Parts: sequence; structure tokens; C-alpha cells
Amino acid sequence: MATNTKKVPLKVKENTGYRIFLVINFLIMLFVVLVTLYPFVYLVSQSFTSEKAIIRGEAGIIPKGFNIDTYKYVLRGEFLHYYRNTIVYTLIGTILSLVFSSLLAYPMAKSELKFNRVLTPFIIFTMYFGGTLISNYILIVNGLKLKNTVAAFILPMMISTYYVILMKSFFQSIPKDLEEAGEIDGLSKFGVFIRICLPLSKPILATMTLFYSVMYWNNWYQAFLYLNKKQWPVAYYLQTIIRGVGAKEGDGDATSVSANIKSCAMVLTVLPIICVYPIIQKYYVQGMMLGGVKE
Amino acid sequence: MKKLKIACLLLTASMLGTGLAACTKEDGGVETSATTIPPTIATVATEDEEDLDYVYGEHFYSEVPVTYSMFFSDASWYAMKDTWLTEGVFKDIEDITNVHLDIISYDSNDYMNNITLDINAGNAAYIIPKIYDDSQFVDGGAIVPISQYVQYMPNFVDFYNTYNMQEDLLTITRNDGNYYKLPGMYDATMPDYSLLVRKDLFEAAGVDIEAIEKDYTWEDLCDALVKVKAYMVSQKMCSESDYIWSDLWCGNESGQGNGGNLLKLIGNTYDVNAGWAIGDGMRYSQENDAFYFSPVTENYKEFLKVAHKFVEAGILDPETFTQDDSTATNKFFNGQTAIISVNKSQYANFVSNLEENLGKGNFDVYYAVAPRGLNNYSPAGAGRLENGVMISQNALEELGEDEFIKMLRFVDWLFYSEEAYTLTKWGVEGKTYKVNDDGTKSLLPGYCCSGLGYASTSDSDIDIRLEWGYAGGNFWYGHTMALASDHFIPPVAAFVEHVSEYRDIVPLSPGLAPNEDQSEEMNLIATPLIDNVNTWTLSFVTGKEDIDAKWDEYVASCEDLNCQGLVDLYAEVYGK
Amino acid sequence: MSANVEVKVSTKRIKSFAKHILKYWQLYLMLVIPIAYYVVFRYLPMFGNMIAFRKYYAGGSIFGDRFVGLRYFKQFISDRSFWRAFKNTLVLNIGYLIVRFPLTLIFALLINEIRNLHWKKFVQTVSYLPHFISVVIMCGMIKELVSTSGPINQAIVHFGGDKISFISEASWFPTIFISSGVWQSVGWGTILYLAAMSNINPSLYEAAAVDGAGHFMRVWHVTIPSILPTITTLLILDIGGLVGSGAAFEKVYLLYNPMIYETADIISTYVFRMGISGKNFSYATAIGLFEGIINLILLSIANLASRKLTDSSLW
Repeated sequence: MATNTKKVPLKVKENTGYRIFLVINFLIMLFVVLVTLYPFVYLVSQSFTSEKAIIRGEAGIIPKGFNIDTYKYVLRGEFLHYYRNTIVYTLIGTILSLVFSSLLAYPMAKSELKFNRVLTPFIIFTMYFGGTLISNYILIVNGLKLKNTVAAFILPMMISTYYVILMKSFFQSIPKDLEEAGEIDGLSKFGVFIRICLPLSKPILATMTLFYSVMYWNNWYQAFLYLNKKQWPVAYYLQTIIRGVGAKEGDGDATSVSANIKSCAMVLTVLPIICVYPIIQKYYVQGMMLGGVKE
Repeated sequence: MKKLKIACLLLTASMLGTGLAACTKEDGGVETSATTIPPTIATVATEDEEDLDYVYGEHFYSEVPVTYSMFFSDASWYAMKDTWLTEGVFKDIEDITNVHLDIISYDSNDYMNNITLDINAGNAAYIIPKIYDDSQFVDGGAIVPISQYVQYMPNFVDFYNTYNMQEDLLTITRNDGNYYKLPGMYDATMPDYSLLVRKDLFEAAGVDIEAIEKDYTWEDLCDALVKVKAYMVSQKMCSESDYIWSDLWCGNESGQGNGGNLLKLIGNTYDVNAGWAIGDGMRYSQENDAFYFSPVTENYKEFLKVAHKFVEAGILDPETFTQDDSTATNKFFNGQTAIISVNKSQYANFVSNLEENLGKGNFDVYYAVAPRGLNNYSPAGAGRLENGVMISQNALEELGEDEFIKMLRFVDWLFYSEEAYTLTKWGVEGKTYKVNDDGTKSLLPGYCCSGLGYASTSDSDIDIRLEWGYAGGNFWYGHTMALASDHFIPPVAAFVEHVSEYRDIVPLSPGLAPNEDQSEEMNLIATPLIDNVNTWTLSFVTGKEDIDAKWDEYVASCEDLNCQGLVDLYAEVYGK
Repeated sequence: MSANVEVKVSTKRIKSFAKHILKYWQLYLMLVIPIAYYVVFRYLPMFGNMIAFRKYYAGGSIFGDRFVGLRYFKQFISDRSFWRAFKNTLVLNIGYLIVRFPLTLIFALLINEIRNLHWKKFVQTVSYLPHFISVVIMCGMIKELVSTSGPINQAIVHFGGDKISFISEASWFPTIFISSGVWQSVGWGTILYLAAMSNINPSLYEAAAVDGAGHFMRVWHVTIPSILPTITTLLILDIGGLVGSGAAFEKVYLLYNPMIYETADIISTYVFRMGISGKNFSYATAIGLFEGIINLILLSIANLASRKLTDSSLW
């Protein structure tokens, strides 16, 4: 368990060298925390800076000409449309991912299933070798004709082999006798999975929910390849405003997006993630441990 | 319903035209001489036009409601809204023509990429607007060789005949004798991108830009800017280490990695492909009647030197080629820089931003003609053609020939009639604009349009482009100069006039149509080759590499990447 | 006679197989959709790689239309831009590995030494944050931070230096790439180490203390050896990815420009430019396939070496 790290022995005699080390260690950690957080603080500050100050090139850690007009502007515009798309895709995608990943991981966790001797390498091999950028692309566009459909956004990443293995390891750690007791009580194999295994798997399900939803939330690449403008998720919209309008000859009247608007959109996009991930930290640390070390 | 036959409506009809069109239809793939498209075209009517009453100059109306699908290049800075469909430009089109447009929109950034895929996968919309380069579609069979059908398009034909567009259309005519795109057409060349200078600073430094622009060279401009900078330094407006030119359309947002607009402008005057116009580097030489790879020519070296001169003299910020566009405009709006690239549609926007940041009356700007180089070419580039419209084979197959021709008449109305031109540009008379006594048009009070150069005067002003989609880039490509310039504010109109007065029109080069294998081969050579050219070019211009010292190494690197192979391929395709 | 035995054996097999299926049919049923998914979305593209040998025409068969043999391989072997991308991929990956790998380990050891549990939890939480941030946003932040008017350049000017145009200097790209990667992944990377450390039996430390080992000696002699299997596993995986450029694609694509292709263009971005932008599908697939195969070979070698040397391996 992650929280077990407190077991590190404390009753050692503390000499001066070790005390100095602790102080230095604290300073290092402080530095790490500051460096990690600085870009976010900078973004937030910029999102509250006035456009005039931005034009004058005055941006810093404290917003100049503090105002919330940028937020009002962004929340009025198309940003919301893309944000809504992202929420919908994340919801649908995460549910599909959870369902099909557990459907795959659970039988894989059953050593008595003979087919696993074939199945496990079949699944794991895809982690080390697969289609190239191009063949995946051609499959979606020409093979399955999924271009301009939300399916093209969700399906290519719906089941992540790595996450399936994490889940499989967790399912394997569930005591056998609990499941056997369920079967004795007359539950079918599927019933055991639903009634006994899943309720015991809240930590891994919480972890997978976080991982999959972050994956969908952040993805721009599939959208970039396959979706039309109405279908864009917010991450891709962000990418276009960060990259800039990319005026070409015919688009001479393009105007670029100013830094405060970019920052504001970025802040609004990371906000849900920042709010959610610490809450289930306990679970995913545990989940990562299970899969990572064993396997 | 009037049964109308439009055959031979135009007396300049040439039987030659239709005769050859029919001939090429039969042996589509065979190479024919490039004179297949006629000097003038006769319009033709179909047999059953019971419900179609359409003549040149009148509007198109379908008795039964029809729906045509159309791709749409959606610009992020005036993104399409639902109001465009319910009360804006698409509603108007439907009201007038009874045609419902089924819009499939892609962001303008990825537009070409996306529609290429759709077309290749057989999912093309019927009407495909906003096409600059159609060469990649010629071989696939997904696009209608539209030159075989233009006789059904009276507005197109009228313009073609009136302004002798044959020569221009030959530039997009392919080896099979057809052209595949209905281009926007102007009766003269239309300049757009050029330079905006701070006239007040120039004058204070003793440079009269209006007097020199007629025949100044890039070197002259550089000398002038050195004076301007000296003045600005003396006035403590900037320091010796600052640059007074930081340009947009060249950096990571819109420069496409090739130096963008500025290098295109300069390159054009040195007879080389550069910047936005780099393409695959191949250029047509009229002297030799052959194509050559321009980035390894002496002219290119001259071009690099003059571009580098601006950086060397401490005028042009080398950041120009990597920064965001807003960095450049911000510096200009602040008064930190004295010159910047501009185009017709940005002019008003730049001026209003200057007013906001510097204060009205504290500055004076001038939309100058770009300098000349080795030639005296207009920055407008070659020819009188604009981007255009392609029609997909799907339309022909799914509609059948009669209905297809009906659709073409609609397309003719939408893209070539004065009525549709004015509608898609200005909106509805009496609702958004009025016609003044002198025949000019202006927006009604309460409306503005950044696309037409009408800045908003109060917060309550409605931008007709943002709100209803008028003045958008998918329609009104070209037309007579009189119509095309009906929204120009005086400084812009003056600029257009100056260009046509001071500069020569770039000669036309012939169109090519490689087959699939040839274009793959060209592409394989050109992609890394042009990457290499771009990298070296920017290093030379920004002074990271010395032009004289490294020129040979650069040329050798291009030869290494088989630029000769490209030239050979062109020669093979061109067939001479 | 022997034939009879065989029949018996095989009927026995069939019977036990049928019994097996009958008993577990629900589990097998669960697998149907996921397996179909793997076939379509993982294995079809794998076979789609065939277009490296068969010319693909837009809109044609996804397995290509005409056999061309090794034509595209021959072409890219003599393509200098490919070798540049290959070199860059190696340089960036090795540089990144060399910097990140020890840093992650050191950071995990340092976190393990924090004694205030609240502070420890806080440091961990903060250090995990960058892992969850989209590449788009990270690159947006990088661009803001290193732009000529950004805070880093402001600091440089403040201390009397000249502004550096980080984004357009080829020599700076590896630094930007590696440091942003460290920023994003070091915190997250500690999870597995910390987990391994928490599983160390405390009696080992006590025994070492009895032997008179100081604090740092105990880290060296107990902690490190105990987490060695974890270290090895992670190292194998990293080595297997040394020629891989798929993971770095998004970051490089969002950050690079032609001025810095010299150091920034990696295999996947080159494949993208040649393939999807340039429409040379078969050519780009040949390169991608080459990359994939090299990776597979590297991974196998690393795995083999590890099994021989340390007894821990992936398979």
C-alpha cells in the first residue's frame, strides 16, 4: 500500500549530517514544487491581465490591469461549444473504455481459462508492435470510413493494453475464496464478476476512470486527424489557437488570438483535472503499484 | 414556364470550342496540345428546361426545392454560426434560388487536408469551393473536368469572353486539355499584400515614401529604414539594439516555415519562388520554355542577400520568422516598429489598433507599393485568376446530367453573377447596406464588417460577417475590378491604383498535370528538398549562416537531395 | 491399435475442451467484443503495414494495390532527411533517458526521506500534476515561457544577458525537449519506486543499523538493491523505446519549425510530413515499419540481457 511508506525506520540516531540533509532535502522539494507550479501560476496571471498590458508586453506573475473580461469573453464564445463536446466525448469514451477493458481484463485474470495462453501474448504483443501512424490512419479513413464521426475519436484509443494489464493484476489480487463463495451461492461466472468482483474493485475502477477520462479529455490528435470543426474537442481547439490562425494567402484577414485569451482557455481546460486528480490519488497510486511491479 | 433556349445567345460563339471539348471527352487521357480551350465559348441550352428559367444577368430559381452539398472552409476568426443558416447568407441564397446548401465545414487551417481525404475516399460534396491548387485532384477521376461544361454557365462565359480569359485559363489547363476548377476571375490583376509604413516617422527622417515608391528597390527601402531608425533612436523611441521591423505572416503561426509573406514578396521581385510561394521551387522560364529549380539560381542568392541586408542593418527582427503574429502586430501598434506587412483586409484593423494604442493624430500610415528587385513585377503575382470552385463527379453521377447542368447554373449564379456577388459580400440591400446616389455602396448605420474594412464604431454595431456570414471567404472570389473594389476605402483604392500604375504584370506559366506515379515521385523529392531549402533560407536570411561562404554547400545539399531529378520530371511531364 | 489410442485421446480432448467451454462460456462471451476490437484496431493496422511493400492508392484497398517490393525501403535508405530524423530520435531519446532516469530515482529516494507526512503528500500530489496535463497545454506553456518576451528571457535581460530565441535555435531544442519531459514525467515516475520502497521489509534496515551502517549507507545497501528489479524492468522498457518516436510525436509536432529540423525532426514527425501531409502513404509506412521493427529488436535484446544478468525480464 502506498501509505505504508511511513514504515521507513525513524528510530535511528540523528547525527548532524542527517539534519543538514533534511534541511537541504526540504529546500530541494520546495524548489521542485515551485518549478512545477510556476507555469500554472503564470498562466492564471496572464488570463487576468488586460489586453492592453499584453500588447505592451507586460506579463508577469502578478496580473497587470486585473480584470475578468477575458473570462467573460471566452465563456461567451465558441469555446463553450468545444468544451461541451469534450465533456460528451469524455463521458461516452470513459464508459465504453471501462466496460470493455474490464470485460477483457477479468477473463485474462483467470488462470484456469485455457485460452489465456494464447490470449495474453495476443494482447501484450500490441504493446510492443503495431500499425504505423499511416496504416492506422488509412484504416480509419478508408477502411472503416469513420472520418467525421465521433467514433473515429473514441475507438482508436478505447482499450489501452497497459491499463488492461493494470486491471488484470488487480483482479488477480482479489481473494479466490470470495469468488468461490459466490459461485456456491449460485451466482454464474458473470454474476460473480458483477456482484462480487466489481464491488471489490472500486480502487482500480476509480483509477481507470481517472486515467481514461484524462486521456479523452486531453486528446487532440485523433480530432486533428478525423473530426470536422463542429466536432472538435476543446483540446484541439486550444491547439489551433495556440498554434495560431495560420493565415494563408487566402486568409489574409485572419487575426491572431491574444495571449490572455489563450491563457484563459488553457486555465479553464485544465481546471477540472486539477480539481479531480488529487481526490483519488490514493487509488491510482495503489493501482499503478499493482500493475507496474508484478506483470 | 418559358421554355428558353440559350443556344447561341452570344454571337461571338465559336464552334471550335464545343467541337474540341467533345473530342477531348472521348480520349480523355491522351495528351493534346494546350490550345484545347477556345478563345471564346458559346453558351448552350439543354433540351428539357421546363422549370428552369435562367439567363445571363438574371437570377437562378429552382421550381422544386433542391439540396446540394458543399464543403465550407470555416475561418476561426469568423467562425460559422447557426444564424448564418437561419437568417444569414445561406438563408438568403435559399430564399432567392430555392436551393438548400448542405454545408460540410472544416476549419480553414485543415480544410485542404480534410477535403482531400474526403475526395479521395469518394465522399466529396457536390460543390467544392476555395481551391487554390487543383493539380492533385486531376488524376483521380473524382473531379469533373469542368471545362467540358462551362458552356452551360452564361455568367462565366460572359466574363470569359468579355475579358479574354483564355490565356489565363490556359495556366490551369491540364495535359488532357481540360481545366478542373472554376477559378475566380478578375478583369485585371488584383494586388493585396504589401507594406504599411509609419509615414510620420519616415517624413521626420527625411524620407518621402510616396515619392520613392514608384521605382525604389529593396536596397533603397533598407537605406530609408536605416534613416528612420536613426531618427527613432535620436528621439529615444527605441535603442540602437532594437529592430524597427518585426513582421507578421512569416513566423510559426502563418509563415508555414518558409518565411511566409515577406520572403514571397521579395522573392517575386527576384524571379524566384520563396516564402509562401515556394511550392516545390519549380519556376517556368519563358526564354527557354522550360521549368527550372529556382532556389539554386544566382537570382536566389541575390534575393537572400537583399533579405539578409535588412537583418544585418539592424532593421528587421530575425524573430520575424519564428514568432507569433501578434508579437509583430503588438510591436507595431505600440509604436516600437515603423513598418509591417499589410493586406487590404487588415489595413483598417491595423489603423484602428494604432488609434487605440497611440491615439488618433499621433501617427500617420501609408499603404506602400512593395519595392522592386531585378524585375518590376507587381506583388499581385501572376495572372488574373483567384482561387476557385471544383465540382465533384459525385454530383454528376448522383444527379444525372440534366440535374447536374441545373446545378451548374446555380453554381454559375452563385459564383459569377453580380447579384450573388453583391449578396454574399454586402448582404441584403436595405437591410445591411444601401446604394448611394453615386452608385457606391455603404453599410447602413448600426452595422460594421471587419472583412470589408468597416470597423465598428460602437459596441452595439452588428458585424454582418460574424453574425450572418456575409463577406466571407468562400464566395466572391473575383469579378470586375469595379465590383471587386466597391468596398475599398480610399487608402486601399489608392494602393491598388499605384500598383497597377507602377508595376508590371507577372508573365503566365503553363499548367501541368503529372499522373499519379509522377506526382508521387515529385512529392518524394520535393518534400525533403523544400524542407532543406527552407532551413537554409531562413538561416541565411537571419544571418546564422554566411551567404557567400556557405552558398556552395547549400547548392550541393540541394543537388544531393536530387533537385535535378525534379527538373527532369517536370521536363518529362511538360513534354518539351 | 495406435490409431485407436489417438482417437481416444482426441475424443477425450474434445470432451474436456467442451466441458471447459461449457463451464466458462460466460467468460469467453465477455471476450468477444474486446478480441474483435483488437483484431480490427490493433491487428488490421499491423497488417496494413503491408502498404510499405504494396503501393497504396488513395481510396484503394487498405492493404495496397500493387506489389512494389522493397522500392520504398530502398528509397528511404538513401534519404538523408530520414537519417537525420533517425539520428535526432536517438539523440533525444538517449539524452532524455540519461537525464530522466537517474533524476526519477533520486527524486523518489528524496521523497522517501521526507518525514513530515503532510508535506510529503503535498510534494507528491504536486509532482503528479504535470502528468495529467495535455501535451497541447504543456506546449502552450513552453511557448509562453521561452518566447522572447517571456519570463525566461526577461530574467536573462534582467541579469544583463541577450535575449535568446529558444524556439528557433536548433541547439536549444534538445534542452527544451528534455527539460519539459523531466518536468512532466519525473514526479509520476516515482510512484513505482516509492511503491517498491514501501514493500521493503523494515527488519532489513534494522539489521543494517545494528551492523553500524549510517543512514546513507542503509540507502545504498538496502534500499537500492531492494528496488533493483523495478529499476531493471523500467530500464528495459525505456531501452525498448529508444528508437521509438510515437510518444514524442505530439510534443515535437507542436514545438518544432523548419529552422530547427536539424535537431528536432524525429521519425514520427517525418513520417507525418511525408505521409499524411505529403500523401506519400506507402513511403511513410515503410519508415514507420522500419522504426517499429528496430524497436522490437532493441526491446528483445534488452530483455534478454536483463534476464541473463539480473533474472528479471518482461517475458
